[in-house]
Amino acid sequence: MRDYWLSKLFFDLQSSPALGEEYRTGRKSILDRYPLKPEVRKAVERDDVVFLASRVNPYLLRFYFVVCGMPEAEFLKKVRNAGAESAARSSHG
Amino acid sequence: MAKLVGVFAASHAPLIIRGWKDVSAANQASLTRSLTELGGRIKAAKPDVLIEIAPDHWVNFFINNLPSICVGMGEEHEGPAEPWMKDCPYKTIKGHPKLAHHIVETALERDFEPSMSHHLTLDHGFCIPLWRGGLDPLPPIVPIIFNDLEPPYPTVRRCLQWGAMLSEAVRTYPEDIRVAILATGGLSHSIGEPTMGEIDEPFDRECIRHFENGDERKLVDFLNERLPTIGNGAAEIRNWVAAHGAADRRGFELIGYCNCPEVYVGCGFASWNLGARA
Repeated sequence: MRDYWLSKLFFDLQSSPALGEEYRTGRKSILDRYPLKPEVRKAVERDDVVFLASRVNPYLLRFYFVVCGMPEAEFLKKVRNAGAESAARSSHG
Repeated sequence: MAKLVGVFAASHAPLIIRGWKDVSAANQASLTRSLTELGGRIKAAKPDVLIEIAPDHWVNFFINNLPSICVGMGEEHEGPAEPWMKDCPYKTIKGHPKLAHHIVETALERDFEPSMSHHLTLDHGFCIPLWRGGLDPLPPIVPIIFNDLEPPYPTVRRCLQWGAMLSEAVRTYPEDIRVAILATGGLSHSIGEPTMGEIDEPFDRECIRHFENGDERKLVDFLNERLPTIGNGAAEIRNWVAAHGAADRRGFELIGYCNCPEVYVGCGFASWNLGARA
């Protein structure tokens, strides 16, 4: 399943260095431009890799967190835990 | 008539550029050796035009309009847009609209329906092997983008057929030019997934053995069974399959393989000996 507007946000950010810079300075004004569902926006705001990973292409997920400036080791740790966390979340309904 | 003078394949891991200093000396030497050899073989083939098959890493296309296969028809293409590719010498890249047009016409005649673009940006997937292979200046390029990033993908069998059709398109092109094909991507790797960073060398070695053996059915069956079970980056092996089809499934020669965890990719480099055709 792909979330179109989340994917569009990630796509636009990795396509434009200027937009990426603006996003790193302050996310709110840019997030306001995309009709994200409330739970999706919340996941973006708290860098919830597990939630986001289930809704976008994995390459876009990676590019997004590069744009955000998340250190590589932190992203690797989060994305590698995503499989186990995702399974745990679904088992809890 | 045009002549197919070389068929090649290469990995294109971004960290070969943006993480090079973190690559071990041994792996740097291995990758440099393979890329230099690859570039040398392409240059030795003296192509007047290079057909290049690579994925698009969310540069030209998005999920609102995502072709399975797109042929670049433009007189000129943009060089890579990634900020970390800023030192790449290819700012604009000459195309070959007449050959591209003939490829699309041949494809349609053979019941393929490719998308077309008259202005593409060629990202790192196109440019890293050429740059690091020392191809400067470049021959004109006809880029062909295969969707290897967002499922559902073109089938492995269809990619093999695409390669055979490309070979026919080259052979029937009326001008007396030399044409080579370079497919880029793979081998095993995983990007943005829980398995990110994992390289499956036994898979890569078996895949290489299937290319060497040249048995079409075994190669297709192997990839159909195994590609869904390993990292998403291995989907790009479809491009190698197209190259294999263009070479009439014969003459595969491994130039080099490097299990390179620093770049997250099982890196492979190959050429097909076209003299091995029966």
